[in-house]
Amino acid sequence: MSGRVIVITSGKGGVGKTTASANIGVALATSGASVALVDMDIGLRNLDILMGLENRVVYNLVDVVEERCKLRQALVKDKKLPNLSLLPAAQTRDKSAVDADQMKALCEELKSMYDFVLVDSPAGIEQGFQNAVAGAEEAIVITTPEMSAVRDADRIIGLLEARKDEIKEYRLVLNRYRPTMVQNNDMMSVDDVLEILSVKLLGVVPEDEEIIVSTNKGEPVSGTDNVRSGLAYRNIAKRIRGEEVPIMDLEVKNPSWMSRIVSFFNPTVRV
Amino acid sequence: MQLRIFEWFSQTKQDGARSTAKDRMRNMLTHDRLELPAGRLESLEEELVAVVSRYFELDKDTTQFDLQQYERRASLIANFRLLRSKC
Repeated sequence: MSGRVIVITSGKGGVGKTTASANIGVALATSGASVALVDMDIGLRNLDILMGLENRVVYNLVDVVEERCKLRQALVKDKKLPNLSLLPAAQTRDKSAVDADQMKALCEELKSMYDFVLVDSPAGIEQGFQNAVAGAEEAIVITTPEMSAVRDADRIIGLLEARKDEIKEYRLVLNRYRPTMVQNNDMMSVDDVLEILSVKLLGVVPEDEEIIVSTNKGEPVSGTDNVRSGLAYRNIAKRIRGEEVPIMDLEVKNPSWMSRIVSFFNPTVRV
Repeated sequence: MQLRIFEWFSQTKQDGARSTAKDRMRNMLTHDRLELPAGRLESLEEELVAVVSRYFELDKDTTQFDLQQYERRASLIANFRLLRSKC
């Protein structure tokens, strides 16, 4: 078996890289694929929390690389999905603990065991990022429609372009999208961001409080039905697998006449 | 009040932060991608005008410089209106 190694990256911190990694991993595994999630954010381990697996971590990625354990011993199986495993980051080391060659070798080994190897990259454009992309052939760039996040995404795209020989494809996920603000012309739209970055779109994830709830529970939202952000991540997983899925309708429907009259006289009431 | 009534009917603000963000973003990324420091383009434009002016009389009011992006590549489009040659 030779799986696909996909690095999930963003440049800017806090735009939802780790949340996206967890959710895309769960969505791919739910659809039947075998998935390894690799947390490359060494020193700032978080993916285990989002997966609700923090109590099951025994060994980590650095232990594997430094041969203190076998790869299989470090992989933590998901609670619900037996075909999904996490390779946790080390919490007590720094980004220099693993180099690009070690990462390539690790990805080679994981590729032979899983359909998908998803690498959660650290924020920034320095060595941590360079190591995270070292073993990947594809990349997912996460951004929000904010100017600082888009600017950093552009830097990352520039760096991915420079690695054209290794990174065959990269696509964008636009996270924390607020359709109401876009409709009010207060925020850049999906098309605005795509035009500015000249990049292919993989998916749009609407801003959703359920993400916070799911993080607190340690159960990624893509495993839950009837949640918009979860559906967005399941669609992203389908597109990764090559299915043609249209971007879901994000437009906010016109409010009723009655609610518009109420909001006209009392602008503080949100309808 | 007038504006609110207009907004109420049209349901969208004509001039929101969106277009400002988009314009600033475009400009910023053009500079980022070229690693172009602020002011550098302006000095190039001045020099170009000076060079062309050695050969032609220019209509300086209509001289235009436009830095465009297409698929992450920048092009500088310069437009000089030439009045007559200087020779």
